[in-house]
Amino acid sequence: MGKRKQRLLRALGRSAEGVLRGLEEAADRPKQLDYFIEVMRAAYVDDCLAERLELNEPRPKVVGIYCVMAPEELVYAAGAIPLRLCGGSHEASCAGDELAPRDACPVVKSALGSTALGAPSLYELCDVVVVPTTCDAKRKMGEELAQHTEVWVLDVPHVKESEGARRQWLEELHGFKRDLERLTGNRIKRRALKEAIAMLGRAQHQARRLYQLRQAPVPVVRGNEAALALHAFAFDRADRWTEAMTRLNDELEDRVRHQQSPQGAQIPRLMLAGAPSIFPNWKLPNLIEEMGGALVTDESCVGDRYLYDPVGAVENTMEDMMVALGSRYLMPCTCPSFAPNDDRLFRLRQAVEDFQLDGVLYLVLKGCVIYDFELQRVEKLMRELGLPVLRIETDYNPEDVEQLRTRVEAFIEMIQENIQQEGGA
Amino acid sequence: MRVFAGIDAGSTYLKAALVDDQRQLLGVKTAPTGIDARETAQEVLDALCLQVGVEPAALAAITATGYSRRQIDLAGDNVTEIKAHAAGARWALGVDSEVRTLIDVGGQDSKVIVFDDNGAVKNFVMNDKCAAGTGRFLEALARVLDVSVKEIGPMALQSKLPCEINSMCVVFAESEVISLLARRHDPVDIVAGIHVSMAKRIAVMARKAGLSGEVLLTGGGGLNPGLVAAFEDELLCDVHIAEHPQLNGAIGAALLAGRLAAAA
Repeated sequence: MGKRKQRLLRALGRSAEGVLRGLEEAADRPKQLDYFIEVMRAAYVDDCLAERLELNEPRPKVVGIYCVMAPEELVYAAGAIPLRLCGGSHEASCAGDELAPRDACPVVKSALGSTALGAPSLYELCDVVVVPTTCDAKRKMGEELAQHTEVWVLDVPHVKESEGARRQWLEELHGFKRDLERLTGNRIKRRALKEAIAMLGRAQHQARRLYQLRQAPVPVVRGNEAALALHAFAFDRADRWTEAMTRLNDELEDRVRHQQSPQGAQIPRLMLAGAPSIFPNWKLPNLIEEMGGALVTDESCVGDRYLYDPVGAVENTMEDMMVALGSRYLMPCTCPSFAPNDDRLFRLRQAVEDFQLDGVLYLVLKGCVIYDFELQRVEKLMRELGLPVLRIETDYNPEDVEQLRTRVEAFIEMIQENIQQEGGA
Repeated sequence: MRVFAGIDAGSTYLKAALVDDQRQLLGVKTAPTGIDARETAQEVLDALCLQVGVEPAALAAITATGYSRRQIDLAGDNVTEIKAHAAGARWALGVDSEVRTLIDVGGQDSKVIVFDDNGAVKNFVMNDKCAAGTGRFLEALARVLDVSVKEIGPMALQSKLPCEINSMCVVFAESEVISLLARRHDPVDIVAGIHVSMAKRIAVMARKAGLSGEVLLTGGGGLNPGLVAAFEDELLCDVHIAEHPQLNGAIGAALLAGRLAAAA
C-alpha cells in the first residue's frame, strides 16, 4: 500500500470517527441506530467493507454508482452488489484538488481523490463505476475516472417530459442491462428482476416510513441520526439494511406512541435543502441539531431523493419492468441538472406542508452552480409560503464551522422568535 | 433597582454595557479584546461596575454575545450577535423610527439585519469568510496610506471624485492602492474610493437581505462619517447612527439579560 494511501486512510478514519463518536455521545439516540453507525465505520474508519459485505468466493462483481439515476434493481438482478460512491470527505477532496479545476465541487473532487488513491478501499472494490450524465462536473469526472477504472456512462436526458427522451432513456437502460450481463456473466432473468424490484421496494418502503415518522409533531429522531441511517444504504446490502431500518422504524414508532422525544415539541422544524451533505461531511446536519433546530427532512440525493419513490410495475413482463424502472429513475427525480425542473418546487411545497416546516436551510456546495441557480425559485416559493430560507455556501473544509454556527444559530433564534410571536398573538 | 449586564466579545474590542430594569443605560466600557477574552471581560465588567457604582456580585443577570461569547463564563447566557444587535437597535430607535435595516460593520465581519415593524428579525446576511466589507479592510488600507483609522472617514468626505477600487480582496486592494499612489492620485480620492468600494460590497448584502425602510449603522463602522456618506449614496436612503454604535450589541445583550428587549 502506498504511503499516500495510508495517510489518506488515516485522515479519513479520524474525521469519520469524529462524526460517529459525536452521534454515539448522544445517550438518548435510538438503540437501533448503532447498526448504521457500524456500517459507516466499516466503510470509512475500519476500511473493511469487503469483509462486512461478505464478498465470499466466488466474489460477486461490485458496481460503483454515482448520482441516483442508475437502477440498483438491475445490479442486484445480475447478481452484483451496488455501492454508492459520491464523495463527502474533506481529506479526499484535498487529494482530488490536483485532479480537478479549482471551481469543481467537493463531491467530485472527493470522488476523484478517493478513486486515484484507492481510499477508502471500497472505491477499489468496484469492478466498474457508473456515471450518469447529470451536471457538467459529474460528466467530466466520469472522463477522469476512466484513467483509473472502467467507467460506464449512463446518458440521462435533461428534459424529462419529451417522448423522445423517454425512449432514449429506456434504450440506455437496456444497454446498462446488457453491460451488467456481460460483466457478471449472468443473464438478467424476469424472475430475478422481479425479486430485485421487490427487495428494493421493501427498502424504499422503510425509507418512506422513516420520513412519515419524522412528520410527527414531536420529533422522535435527530436529523443527523436519520440522515446517517438513510445514507448507510449506500454501503450495505439492501436486504440487511431493510431489516435494520425496520427495527429502527419500530423503535421510533414506539417513541411516537409514548411521545418520547430527544428535543421536545416547541423546536423549530427545518429542512436541509439544496446540495447534499454526504458522509463524513456532517457539518450542517450536526450544526442544525446542536443549535437547537430539528432537522426533519431533506431533499438529498443520499436521502429522500435516493430512496423515497417506489417502482410501479403493473405487469411483470421484462419490458413492463424495464419501463417501470425507467420511469422511477427519471420522472420523480428532482436533481437540478434537469430543466425544466418545476417538479422540485412541487415537492418542496409538499414537504413544507407534510413536515410542518418552519424554515429551510439551503446548502450550496462551492462550485455547484445549478443548485445556486434554482435557489431564486426556491426563495420565491418559500416567500409565498412565509418560510425563511438561509443560504449557506461552503465546502467540506471544517475551518468555517464557527462562522456557520453563528449563522445557523441566528437563523434558528429568528424562527423561534417568530414562533413565539405567533404563539403569543 | 435591578441591573443587567451585556458583554459583546468581538474579535477586536470587547464591549460591556449595564442597563437597569427601566431600560435606562447606566454605563458602557470598551477595551481591546486581547488574547484572553474571559479575563478581559472580567476586568472590563469590574471597571464598569466601579464606574457606575454597583457591586459586580449584585448584577441580576449577564448575557454574552459576539465572536467569543462562549468563552465568557461569567455570563449566565449567550445569544448570537444577530439577536443582540436587533435588540440594541430596537432600544436605540424608539417606536416611531422608520429604520427597518441594520448594518453592522465590525472588525472581522459585517452583517445586515432586516426586521419587521415589531422589531423581530425577518432576515439577515453575513459576509463570507474573508475580510472584504469588514473593518479590517479599512484598517489594512489605512495602513498602506499611512493614516490612522480615525482620520480616514473625515478625509474621504473631502473628495470630489473618488478613485475606483475594484478589488474586494484586502491583499489585492492593497496593491491597487499602492499603484494608485504611484500614479500620483490624491490620497483623499483614494480614501474616498475605499469607502465607496466597501459600501458597494455591503450594499449587495443589504439588497440580498431585502433592505427596507431606513438604515441604522452600528459597529466600528458607525464612527466613520465617510462610510455613512458612502452608504447613503449607495443605498439611496437615510443612514442613521446609533448613539453608541460600537456598543449596540452589548446594550442589546444587556436588555436580553433582563428580558427587557421585547417591550418597545
